Amino acid sequence: MDSWLQASPAWIASLPDGLQTLLFQLYQTFIYQDRWTWYVDGLKITFIVTLGALILGIIIGMLIAVVRTAHDSQRAGKHNPVLGVLNAVCKVYLTVIRGTPMMVQLLISCFVIMVPKDDTGRLICGIVTLGINSGAYVAEIARSGLMSISAGQMEAGRSLGLNYRQTMWYIIIPQAIKNILPALGNEMITLLKDTSLVSVIALRDVTKQAQNIVANTYTPYVPYISLAVIYLVIVIILTKLLGILERRLRASDRR
Amino acid sequence: MIDVKNLCKSFGDHEVLKGVNEHIEKGEKVVIIGPSGSGKSTFLRCLNLLEEPTSGDIIFEGQNITSKQTDINLVRRRMGMVFQQFNLFPHLTVRENIKLAPVKLKIMSDEEADKRAMQLLERVGLPDKADSYPIQLSGGQQQRIAIARALAMNPDVMLFDEPTSALDPEMVGEVLEIMKELADEGMTMVVVTHEMGFAREVGTRVLFMDGGNIVEQNEPHEFFSNPQNPRLRDFLSKVL
Repeated sequence: MDSWLQASPAWIASLPDGLQTLLFQLYQTFIYQDRWTWYVDGLKITFIVTLGALILGIIIGMLIAVVRTAHDSQRAGKHNPVLGVLNAVCKVYLTVIRGTPMMVQLLISCFVIMVPKDDTGRLICGIVTLGINSGAYVAEIARSGLMSISAGQMEAGRSLGLNYRQTMWYIIIPQAIKNILPALGNEMITLLKDTSLVSVIALRDVTKQAQNIVANTYTPYVPYISLAVIYLVIVIILTKLLGILERRLRASDRR
Repeated sequence: MIDVKNLCKSFGDHEVLKGVNEHIEKGEKVVIIGPSGSGKSTFLRCLNLLEEPTSGDIIFEGQNITSKQTDINLVRRRMGMVFQQFNLFPHLTVRENIKLAPVKLKIMSDEEADKRAMQLLERVGLPDKADSYPIQLSGGQQQRIAIARALAMNPDVMLFDEPTSALDPEMVGEVLEIMKELADEGMTMVVVTHEMGFAREVGTRVLFMDGGNIVEQNEPHEFFSNPQNPRLRDFLSKVL
């Protein structure tokens, strides 16, 4: 700290001790050795993992929701055996994924199942694990969305000669997405924050980078508070964007 | 055109249709009336297999549609249906509602469907609503759009499931007017309704259903002026 004080403008030395220390720690956290680029590099990984897991989660979630809804909306006494098996598989998946901690899932998938050798492998492992995890939550959200659409919509589509898949795709799902967007946005925000767990499989996301900085400076205060602020700012921006998207999609509700 | 043979439908233990036999000719306007729970809506919904019959056959234009080999989606293209609750697609504009099925089923190109949609909107008297969303329209307007949507597929027969029951009284007339015009153009129609005036004026045949069967049928004049079945007499004395 002494050498830093000598190198910096004289007015800093005239500040109270506490402020001097804070400025020094900020300097160490962001400026010394261009450490702000560590955060930026970490954010890249965080975003890649979030986005990848989100896309995977939505695909898995929608598929499961469609299977579960199709199974549940079968008429009594007319059960499709294939759908029955698929539904059972989905239920097991939902139970296991929602019943175990995400951290444990990450450890198992990356140290027991996939065992990646390099950074790319770990990145893929992280995305896949988080995607599979998120899929379980998206599935329940999507299912509630599909069930919120009145049966009349399906009947109207079918009565026009559209098949089940077409009616789902063109009529039911677009309406369901609009209904579940707030919940889906919530899931996305949860997912973004949960990516901080990938540091346990040695992925250098923004949380891991903050830990690295602490390992160099031995002062956790500024790096970790900055980390929290970074997450908070991203979440606030995402919330705003979702709000805009929701308003757009509500166009057809305006009288 | 439609031949119904010994049609039965049960929901669990509850037997709703108990062996209905009926033959509907091309060009007929068949009106089905009856107390609630008599099975009239279920009967209508069986005709395009929205309800799957428990047993019995439905032959439509020479094709047994209850058979497993029949592609019901192809059959439904030729049977338009109008619902009590309109069931317009709320996320699409009126124009898109009408175009959706013809375009997605590759029956018309986008431009053709667009032209057809405007034609149909002209016909139901709502050309200026093409780019509105369903929720911006009154119930009567929504139902007229729903009729236009069903007509976009150029069906051979139109099924109406209590089309005016969910409407404010002052909007009933505009919907019935469209249906009347459709009847005058020669469309084959099967209508479940409580509108006795419509049955009398537009129907070529009126069916009375009670307890899961058709208990009496006749041409409208005779049907209303000289009912035979005591249950029908009782029903008419209450609704007329």
